[in-house]
Amino acid sequence: MKRAAIFLLAPTVRPFTIMAGAILVLALMDRGTGYFFSLGTIFSVMQLFATIGLVALGLGLSILVREFDLSVAGIVGLAGCIAVMTGVSNPWLGVLLGVCAGVVSGLLQGLIMTRLNLSSVGVTLGGLLTLQGITYVLTENKTIGYPNMAVALGLNEPIANLLSVRSAAALAVFVLAALVMTYTHIGPDVIATGSDRRASRIAGLNTERVIIGVFAASGASAALAGVLLSYSLGAASPIALADMLAPAAAAAIVGGVSVVGGRGSPMGIAAGVLTLCILRSGLSAIGVEPHVHDLVTGGILAVIAILDAPDLARRVTAWRLDRAERQEQALARKSP
Amino acid sequence: MSDVSLRTRFRLGGARARHLVLAVRIVAGSAIALFALSTPGFTSPLSINALLNAISFIGCVAVGMTFITLTGNIMSLCLGATVSASALIFLASLSFGILPAFLIAILFGVVITAAQGLLVGFFRANPILVSIAGLSLLIGGAALATGGQRVYPGGEGLQVFKGRVAGIPVEALYFFATVVIGQFILSWTRIGRVMVMVGSNPRAAYAAGVGPAMAVTVAYVIAGACSAVSGVLLAARYGSGDMELGTGYDYTAIAAVLVGGTAIQGGSGSVVRTLIGVTVIAIIEVVLLLRGFSQQLQYLITGVIVLAVIMLHTIGERR
Repeated sequence: MKRAAIFLLAPTVRPFTIMAGAILVLALMDRGTGYFFSLGTIFSVMQLFATIGLVALGLGLSILVREFDLSVAGIVGLAGCIAVMTGVSNPWLGVLLGVCAGVVSGLLQGLIMTRLNLSSVGVTLGGLLTLQGITYVLTENKTIGYPNMAVALGLNEPIANLLSVRSAAALAVFVLAALVMTYTHIGPDVIATGSDRRASRIAGLNTERVIIGVFAASGASAALAGVLLSYSLGAASPIALADMLAPAAAAAIVGGVSVVGGRGSPMGIAAGVLTLCILRSGLSAIGVEPHVHDLVTGGILAVIAILDAPDLARRVTAWRLDRAERQEQALARKSP
Repeated sequence: MSDVSLRTRFRLGGARARHLVLAVRIVAGSAIALFALSTPGFTSPLSINALLNAISFIGCVAVGMTFITLTGNIMSLCLGATVSASALIFLASLSFGILPAFLIAILFGVVITAAQGLLVGFFRANPILVSIAGLSLLIGGAALATGGQRVYPGGEGLQVFKGRVAGIPVEALYFFATVVIGQFILSWTRIGRVMVMVGSNPRAAYAAGVGPAMAVTVAYVIAGACSAVSGVLLAARYGSGDMELGTGYDYTAIAAVLVGGTAIQGGSGSVVRTLIGVTVIAIIEVVLLLRGFSQQLQYLITGVIVLAVIMLHTIGERR
């Protein structure tokens, strides 16, 4: 029993345990009415997955190397606007330019960070504000419509009632990332850089290149999310997509990416994103008030934060010892 | 390999880099001042008032954020939501009178962030993660409590928090009071000194026998109180509120903290620096507005300047 619990809560398995737990609880709350277990729910879960999944993947990769890419929220908006403005006649051109913008912004920020030895929060915060500024200038502070409705409808066209083209694309990127992280040296390099940067550098790893690469990949992933979302909505606006950072970070953390770096995997992040999407779609499918999922998500995050806190064990032990000592003293006083 | 030599120079020549940064700071500061003063209409009472208003709301949050950054906890993504939520609480409890409502709002803000501060301080939980948890809980809780409706004042007396005293907007007076109290705590109280020490080297602080836990918790408590003040001012200004009120304040506040020159890794900085940071950003915005730049160009230029200033400050400081 204890061994099973340890296995289920092990860092690499925990995201899937939480996901299974979420499905189980929702299934129990559903009480056989079948609203939760329907193809419609799965489809809407996957649509949500396509929206925040790739942003969470990008952000998660940056947390893996012990950085924090705040700029993903800005890239989502910018890439979406670029795609909508350039991809009217040829949607692929929009995808290409949007993703290129993400890669370039990631490369630039990565270069600034590594060359000048700056912290990622500061640089990517400046990057976020600058990217938002560029988006405002490009769109002239208006919502830009995307007249090519065939693409918008095509992206949301169901495949086998479970996936849409959009969510299939997001899943494909996750599979690709997982393959790269597992079967090339990039995976171990990233993990090593995140675990102990100095040791990795001494061992001969070019950690600066790893970090620049991770930020470029993070930019590309977030940009693709923005392009897909704007195409499928048929519109892009500078403000609408700004509030993506918190859910993406939550998904990455629930997905087992450790905030101290060096721990996590694309499949874990996928499980984390799915958990949040299942909670959101599932709760509304069984008719719970909207926004309860915010409370549930917040609760799960708080529990993870406490469980992962480095001083938790020390504090608990200290309190226990304190209490034991006080009891002993009390006993000693009672029976002199 | 010119970049490598650049880096080694910055790393080894700490004093030289610091002199360089100081020189650039002075030049940039005078450039902004010149640019502002040469802008027609900048010194008019109207534009000064706009400036004071612009710095007051965001400034209170930025002062609070300074304490979180100083103690080495980077930033909180939850302060914007705390602003909105305490504004709602203030409006809803106005029926008890203006002073009780104010106190209830401050208390609410303090409770919200104190809970986070306890987790971060006593268990060393990750501050960004904890703040996202707090954000989710606040948004969910507020939506359940209000049903997503706007909240309107339940009583009278909002005039205390708006209007003017001797020509100065009241909001600005509250903000300056926040700055003075904040800097006082930081410079002249024991817990304030401990906060700086904890931020610059938590292990050394622990070894020296000052527990970081209480200092971090108090830093979060101050951040909550400051955010609640901003919430009260915003609520009084707009006469009603929803959870959108403080959206984005977290990012603007941390930008002001960093532009002011408080180090992102903690341990170095002050409330006065944040006041400078807020003012610089606001001056740039007002000048761009007066010079007739479009709204979108204002966003872009402000973003680029923030990025440049953050880069400038962190050059020469080790990560």
